[in-house]
Amino acid sequence: MAECSEVLIVGAGIIGCATAYYLAKRGISVTVLEGEMIGHGGSSRNAGGVRQSARDIRELPLAMYSVKHLWPALSEELGVDVEYHQVGNIRLGLTNDHMEILKKLVENCKKDGLDVRLVSGEEAREICPYMSEEVIGASWCPSDGNANALLSTLGYYRRARELGARFITGEEVVRLETCRGAARRAVTKRGNLYEAEHILVAAGYESRDISATLGIDIPLIRKYDECLVTEAQPDYFPQTLGTADADFYGHQTKHGSFVFGGDCGFEYFHNRRQEHTAVTANSASCMARNILKYFPVLSDIRVVRQWGGWLDKCMDGVPVLGAVREIPGLHLAAGFSGHGFGIAPAVALCLAQEIAGEETAVDLSELRYDRFKSVK
Amino acid sequence: MKRYELLVVGAGPAGLSAAIEAARLGMKVAVFDENSRPGGQLFKQIHKFFGSKEHKAKIRGYRIGAELLSEAERLGVEVHLNAVVTGIFEFMEINVMENGELCHYKGNAVLVAAGARENMIPFEGWTLPGVIGAGAAQTMMNLHGVRPGQRVLMVGSGNVGLVVSYQLLQAGIQVAAIIDAAPQVGGYGVHASKVARTGVPFLLSHTIIKAEGTERVTGAVIAKVDEKFRPIAGTEQHFDVDTICMAVGLSPMSQLLAMAGCRMEERRGTVPVLNEYGETSVAGIFAAGDVAGIEEASSAMLTGRIAGTAIARKLGYLDEETFSGEYQALKEALSRLHEGMFSPENRGRRDLTETDEGIPLSQSLLKNGYIEKEELTRFPGVVKQKGIHPVIECTQNIPCNPCQDACKFGCIAVGSRITKLPEVAKDSRCTGCGMCVASCSGQAIFLVNEDYDETGASVTLPYEFFPYPKAGERGLALGRDGRPVCEAEVISVKSSPVMDQTALLTIRVPKEMAMTARFYRAKEG
Amino acid sequence: MSIYLDRSRSIGEFVPEPDDGLIICRCEEITKGEIRQAVHEGMWTMTEVKRFLRAGMGLCQGQTCGRIVKGIIAKELGLEAAELPGNVDRAPARPIELTILGNEGEQ
Repeated sequence: MAECSEVLIVGAGIIGCATAYYLAKRGISVTVLEGEMIGHGGSSRNAGGVRQSARDIRELPLAMYSVKHLWPALSEELGVDVEYHQVGNIRLGLTNDHMEILKKLVENCKKDGLDVRLVSGEEAREICPYMSEEVIGASWCPSDGNANALLSTLGYYRRARELGARFITGEEVVRLETCRGAARRAVTKRGNLYEAEHILVAAGYESRDISATLGIDIPLIRKYDECLVTEAQPDYFPQTLGTADADFYGHQTKHGSFVFGGDCGFEYFHNRRQEHTAVTANSASCMARNILKYFPVLSDIRVVRQWGGWLDKCMDGVPVLGAVREIPGLHLAAGFSGHGFGIAPAVALCLAQEIAGEETAVDLSELRYDRFKSVK
Repeated sequence: MKRYELLVVGAGPAGLSAAIEAARLGMKVAVFDENSRPGGQLFKQIHKFFGSKEHKAKIRGYRIGAELLSEAERLGVEVHLNAVVTGIFEFMEINVMENGELCHYKGNAVLVAAGARENMIPFEGWTLPGVIGAGAAQTMMNLHGVRPGQRVLMVGSGNVGLVVSYQLLQAGIQVAAIIDAAPQVGGYGVHASKVARTGVPFLLSHTIIKAEGTERVTGAVIAKVDEKFRPIAGTEQHFDVDTICMAVGLSPMSQLLAMAGCRMEERRGTVPVLNEYGETSVAGIFAAGDVAGIEEASSAMLTGRIAGTAIARKLGYLDEETFSGEYQALKEALSRLHEGMFSPENRGRRDLTETDEGIPLSQSLLKNGYIEKEELTRFPGVVKQKGIHPVIECTQNIPCNPCQDACKFGCIAVGSRITKLPEVAKDSRCTGCGMCVASCSGQAIFLVNEDYDETGASVTLPYEFFPYPKAGERGLALGRDGRPVCEAEVISVKSSPVMDQTALLTIRVPKEMAMTARFYRAKEG
Repeated sequence: MSIYLDRSRSIGEFVPEPDDGLIICRCEEITKGEIRQAVHEGMWTMTEVKRFLRAGMGLCQGQTCGRIVKGIIAKELGLEAAELPGNVDRAPARPIELTILGNEGEQ
């Protein structure tokens, strides 16, 4: 006997929880199945950046819509302080090469009307006095910001559950099945069956194997990234930080601790199982050196925890979203490539709208599953 | 990055013992400890150990620690102190924070012997200064020479609570009471008796309700509990104390093993799943000592040696045959510790009523911390004889036998099964040398001479408090429950290096008090 | 795969208790009542409670409060503490300064 609801969502990350919320708000019955626990994947492991700047123009409208219409009122709407702070994003450069990179990123986004601009080293230090004298310039986007990824995910979950969405954790989906050509059923590792008119797969990298059971293969690879968090400190600076070289990114949280992420070079080459999220022996040291290059003032601040997570990197760097036209009832939300958090509210809203038969707030046509073509 | 055959995390009894085994067989070993002194719990254990000679019985913990360290160093083991292992990673790599650097090490084997940390239970006022772990109090006193307070309430009657209470008294701190929510004393009866005879009351089936005070602890409120451990209204009792010591158990500090991907299980704390040699589910990573399950230092030394030997075999330093023999011997030594009333399989049992010999256990010892005089004669260590003779008030089966070896005249017998209760020979040729009194780690042996003179008897008791009383002074003799029972005159106070700081205090009491007087207190004023 | 938890299962109403004000996580000053309330709002695992309230995120990383928090969650859910997954342990095992972390010597 299958459990039935109008919508079935695979994955209780922020996309799954937020989409469940927007659906439940519309009185649509939702079941969310999750193999581990709420927010187990990237949703609880990212550094909380909510940015529009330096985005691919295909996902920029989702970012701008989120920042303009959804993030500012989200805490009130969910009844949980998601610590959204629109305090700007400053992306730093130490060399002329860095400045060239920043220039291109700025030009790209300016086309869509984003308020981002290049600033000199002096101006950068005026915005954030703690940075090293070595910084020669930066890109500055005042309408960018950051939020608490953990609380945002759990906040959406809590409210969705309150509105009647059913969440089952420890229930890993292994296979989807069609019925008369439409995606209809999910089978779990425990052997349970769930049926719905719409199935949304929002399970990070695991989305690939799950949708493959219906012959839908999303071109993703895995990338393993790490973050660290420090002890609480008195307020230094609220801006979201980044670098032209993308060697680290992060911000100081409401709690006072700093959350930072960064690459050390090995990220695509780890020989690990999906469940393996223990940190590596080298990456935090690399991150620490990078951070101190720009912010020597943070030298003696202590790191209390490190963690890692798997990114689902998509072939062209932006997610696969929305209804899959060749299989009615199947919807995807995967391949966020490490920048899904900031756009999550708008993505979830659009997915819910599409499922509910409404016009989506942002046009998703450039992000559909069937966009992939060979390069030649 | 430096590569070793064996990396050991923790320079406590398990870690050092393993390192010694490995180094002895030719392996290159490095041991890392986050403390500034090695020895783990050993460096603050000032009491004498139990067990038998092979388990280093009757030697004080800190001496064992020093012995292990010098043996390890003699064998070329590198001991890194103030070295914090921040993580164990894939491919047998560990990171160590030392000397302001993050150093990388790799081992062909890694042994985690990181020990345990103290448990806490929350209650109203538990965040006030003055509420501390019993182990923390022990470190303060024995390592740093700092008194944690003036007057203490001890919560918990397991061995830690009992031993630390005694050490608090030795440091000149008052112990208002020892309480435990359980209906009986959790630790060894002899540890409880040592404390009870000084006058510290035991309140079983009581729990802490509240720590009073605003800036720091000024008092404590306790209450009796029912069989479901719920406080009973109206039974509240108040104590004026400035310190509340929590001795409510230990939990393994097994985080490094969990981080390394070892399969873990819940067995009185989160412990790694191990095979019989101490190897975890990750090949090459081993665990020994308290981190693998709370016992005590004697077992930690053996599990450390077992792991060290198994690692040596794994890495080609020991052939199968030799390994087999050594492993068997170590396993047997360990099983000898795992017997008796307090063995791992008996843990938590409250239904034991008899000793292995079929003698009814002293219920008073279990409920109050002291034996009643009437219960004594059941036990083979308690005899009535002419002239001076030992009286051994050892009434529970604990693996321990230094008393047997102490007597050159064969007055005391335990036998090959060291959990057996000691017997005093019917016609003992006791010379009154007192070696047995000083050798008993439980301070449960007394010399009694009911024929000392016409009206008096002499009682020789073990004494470990400063200042020593003076010969000729008069004071009070206390009974097993710590209450004054009669006047006493100090006949002599003897100490000798071989008795390792256990003085023999001989007092004269009225004849009829010979089997009652068990402690001495100078008169006030 | 984790323990099966249907978050729609009724665990009863939240009933205030006299010791709800007791601090459980000392590092972050989280009370028993806050933890119990969080369970009723859907946080049914140690990690979810930790992320929602910060209990176990302080300097001691849950060493002091972990056992106690688990017991409180289990009680609210009507489960045995041993049935629930515990907190996840991560490096660094002790806090470490950024400058030391970045100083790998002549490796």
